[in-house]
Amino acid sequence: MFDARQMATLQALVDAIIPEDDYPSGWQAGVGDYLLRQVQGDLAHCLPAYRDWLDALEGEAQAVCQRAFASLDLAAQSALLAAIERGDIQTDWAIEQAGFFAEIVEHCTEGFYADPGNGGNRDGVAWAMVGFEVTA
Amino acid sequence: MSDYDVIVVGSGAGGGVAAAVLAEAGKSVLVVERGRQLSNADIGRDHLRNQRISLYGHNAGPDIDGNPRTSAEGRRIRPHEPGYQNNAACIGSGTRVYAGQAWRFMPQDFRMASIYGVPAGSSLADWPISYEELAPYYEKVEWQVGVCGDDSTMYHLPKYQKPYPMPALPLPGASRVHLKGLDALGWRGLRMPRLINSVPYNGRPGCINCQHCFGFGCPNDSKNGSHNTTLPRALRTGNSQLRSQVMARRLLTSAAGAVQGVQLVEADGSERSITAEVVVLSCGAIETARLLLNSATSREPNGIGNNSDQVGRHLQGHYYPGAVGLFAQDIYDGLGPGASIATCDFNHDNDGIIGGGMLTDSDVCTPTVVWKSLYPPDAPRWGIEAKRFMRENFRRINLISGPVHEIPNPDGRVTINPKVKDRYGIPVAHLSGTTHPETVRSAAFMHERARQWLRASGAIQVWGAQPVLRLSGGQHQAGACRMGDDPASSVLDRWCRVHSQDRLFVADGSPHVTNGGFNPAETIMALAWRTAENIAKSW
Repeated sequence: MFDARQMATLQALVDAIIPEDDYPSGWQAGVGDYLLRQVQGDLAHCLPAYRDWLDALEGEAQAVCQRAFASLDLAAQSALLAAIERGDIQTDWAIEQAGFFAEIVEHCTEGFYADPGNGGNRDGVAWAMVGFEVTA
Repeated sequence: MSDYDVIVVGSGAGGGVAAAVLAEAGKSVLVVERGRQLSNADIGRDHLRNQRISLYGHNAGPDIDGNPRTSAEGRRIRPHEPGYQNNAACIGSGTRVYAGQAWRFMPQDFRMASIYGVPAGSSLADWPISYEELAPYYEKVEWQVGVCGDDSTMYHLPKYQKPYPMPALPLPGASRVHLKGLDALGWRGLRMPRLINSVPYNGRPGCINCQHCFGFGCPNDSKNGSHNTTLPRALRTGNSQLRSQVMARRLLTSAAGAVQGVQLVEADGSERSITAEVVVLSCGAIETARLLLNSATSREPNGIGNNSDQVGRHLQGHYYPGAVGLFAQDIYDGLGPGASIATCDFNHDNDGIIGGGMLTDSDVCTPTVVWKSLYPPDAPRWGIEAKRFMRENFRRINLISGPVHEIPNPDGRVTINPKVKDRYGIPVAHLSGTTHPETVRSAAFMHERARQWLRASGAIQVWGAQPVLRLSGGQHQAGACRMGDDPASSVLDRWCRVHSQDRLFVADGSPHVTNGGFNPAETIMALAWRTAENIAKSW
């Protein structure tokens, strides 16, 4: 599905979209499991775009920061993503960068806030965070 | 000799009532439903696939593959996609997963054209019957299907003959906050009536105030729908049969074009022709129109009941204008189903507006609903700030919204797309047109009232999108086979019988000439009750 470098970039990207604080990061909460399930299911049509986007993000990180995206700290990752979001890019992107970033954000947050059965809100950790208690 | 006295096509709000009333009148009744019989485990609690948020599918049908519709733009739409105008397909249909808001329409709602006149380009019309004619059937639904509420607070309606059989549900914290807002504005408020047992009733328990009411099945069976009230009543007579996963392909007719039954197709593709003395269509406004249009005969070459080109027109649903407020303190306390306070101060008598609508506070919103639908448009969508916003404000956000009385447009309609077939090879529904622009004006007016209420309740920030012109339908779909006294401008007579047929009736939202500024389920049930009772009486 994804090669090792794409997987490392994806994990870092998920954790920049939903960073760790007092509560787990997106990847820690299972958002990666949710995404890997979805790109083989409902979002199978997005898999090529995901690959292209992760490759392009990695290329951008190398060009701008001379480092792998996954090895940057959260502040640098966030700054790079914000630049990409506003179209301020240094490399040639294979797909429309900002538009698909917004889709990735939605996919990640769907996993994080949806029911644990979808795989991305492990043990209901996102619900505990926001105060959504299920009583019956 | 027919196979059955009655075939009811569809097991939702209208079909369940029709089956119960006719079976208890001694008729043999076959109810067919295209969807499945679902357990609560089947429906589940998937926050991405339910009747409220259907990003990737539905929890109560129809299946996303094999059931397309098409749009005016030539798009092929699947059931969970925008523009499909879906309603659930399972035993009980929408009543299985609704939140059970139980509204009577107002007397004025039956007389819209007389009160307001008919705006250019609209097909606004009066109902052929009055509130007074329907009121006894509202009461039957309230007592026999089971509605909780407080009739003494229903200030916008004529005095009830009988109170509700059960008290209103307890007030959640957010509703108590919104009551203060109403007081500050001098607006009147009422207690939300619901098709839910607030206390044990009809052999089932009272509501346990869970957080998964709207869009999901009820964990302790205290929500009243066709599946646990009217359909079991029909089956208890011993006169009735209920079959799931059976689709109606077309109506069977005599050589002279009189309806005599229904051609059915099973899940395995096998076909059966079942005859009946009476056929009742309860498929929902879009599918009822589709079935009539797919049943053309030489006598009615454009579809049964369609010699006046009225079948499928005037499709209505509900715009749901509203606004979202952020409060300085937690107002969500987890008590479901949620919405408990409403105002009907703006259903009528608004300067320069045709009709209006009811406004209410919100049912419990899952984190996904807040993230996808209620989140402020200017707040960050990713990063630590987005996570913090949800963490700090999920319990401080609340929605005020409500259904607007739509002004019908004859061009907002259902037709057949002969080029696109469903999994059974049946031509699908094609949806085109929009509501009338007056609906958008009403919705914009109600949007402002929602903002006003939120501010008066103490919201520190208020946001929400302005309504835009589009087609309606969805879970509140109605109007596509209107009732009326003139066959030139209606499909059904005042007893919901197809004008051109002696033995064909409709019992769902289709007959609604206009759809009120209220959730339509109780009106669908009451009208079905009246229709079925009349069929039995005049048998």
